[in-house]
Amino acid sequence: MSSVNLSPVVLTEWLFSQTGLALISLLLTLFCYFAAKRLYKRHRVWWLAPIVFAPVVITLLVFNLDIPLPTYFEYTHWLMAMLAPATIAFALPIYRERKLIRQYPLTIAFGVIAGLLLGMISSWLLVKFVPLPVELSKSLLVRSVSTPFAMEATSAFGGVPELTAMMVLITGIIGMLVCEPLFKLMHIRTSLGKGVALGASAHGAGAAKASELGQQEGVIASLTMIFIGIAMVLGAPFFALIFS
Amino acid sequence: MPYLQAAIRRCRHGALLLTQIALFCLLSFACHWFATWAHSPVPGSVLGLGILLILLATKLIPENAVQLGAAWLIGELLLFFIPPVISVIKYEGLFEQYGVNILFTLVMGSVCVMVGTGFVVDRVFRFERQLNIKKHARRHAKAA
Repeated sequence: MSSVNLSPVVLTEWLFSQTGLALISLLLTLFCYFAAKRLYKRHRVWWLAPIVFAPVVITLLVFNLDIPLPTYFEYTHWLMAMLAPATIAFALPIYRERKLIRQYPLTIAFGVIAGLLLGMISSWLLVKFVPLPVELSKSLLVRSVSTPFAMEATSAFGGVPELTAMMVLITGIIGMLVCEPLFKLMHIRTSLGKGVALGASAHGAGAAKASELGQQEGVIASLTMIFIGIAMVLGAPFFALIFS
Repeated sequence: MPYLQAAIRRCRHGALLLTQIALFCLLSFACHWFATWAHSPVPGSVLGLGILLILLATKLIPENAVQLGAAWLIGELLLFFIPPVISVIKYEGLFEQYGVNILFTLVMGSVCVMVGTGFVVDRVFRFERQLNIKKHARRHAKAA
């Protein structure tokens, strides 16, 4: 008769098998993310923000535990698969804020065009002076767009989706950190000015920061981010002709 | 029995949330399939966004039928792109060698975008607000 063997030896063995490690990776990712979220709610310091804390801690753990990347991805790729439904979900904020959009169509249109073009032109010009490997410089072009859109658009420019995700993340953190001194320095005082600038340059992280500054700032930042993302994805084949 | 009621409410909330997320996934899957099948230049996810927006605008779908799921998906967006970020371990050497250059490019780029966009929008917004106030005043003058 066979019985289920649950001795510590067998358990440890299973734990370090492929499936065990893959499961640990998923749980680790979920735990670090939600822990960072709770911590940031209690202590508002920038390095505890989930966008900084979670990726850093998880990368360190995966690196030091020697978890092979294919194993790490075995289950966590399902998290990545949720990026597409999340893109669709952006329809709701557009619908809900239709009044604001109807009230300030010019402001939003100018913000989206300026943000989209400046994001690509600035990267394009900078990599002409700063030596960077090709796969990186191409992944940089879409960096100020929200991740699901950026990962979709980057292949048109010849970028690597993973590198793009990293660039997008760092861009978000930078935007969060530099926005307040910049707004003071440049005398950007209106709520829409701040919100659109944050949404255009720092996507989701910027929108989160903007909602800390004020309600209208937050709303307009997410709207800008969504519109720029859509414009980037739709225009990518065309922009790729110019910028590569 | 307040505890039981609270528990039931939480269960219902959870079930509703899960159903809505499942619906989003279903729509996303269908759109992805269609985009691949039709060789659509617009990717499935953006196609889905357009479809949902039309459904909402024509009131074929009430707002609160998708509200919970949408709020959750957008709220936890960061969680979904942690895995691709982790995979840059592959490019460890690249970051060691070019770390400073990357950071410099990103900071300068972000400052350009933020200052440029903020500057433009600040001006356009003041202009459009003035425009809206005038329009409003004209409408009131007509009414009076």
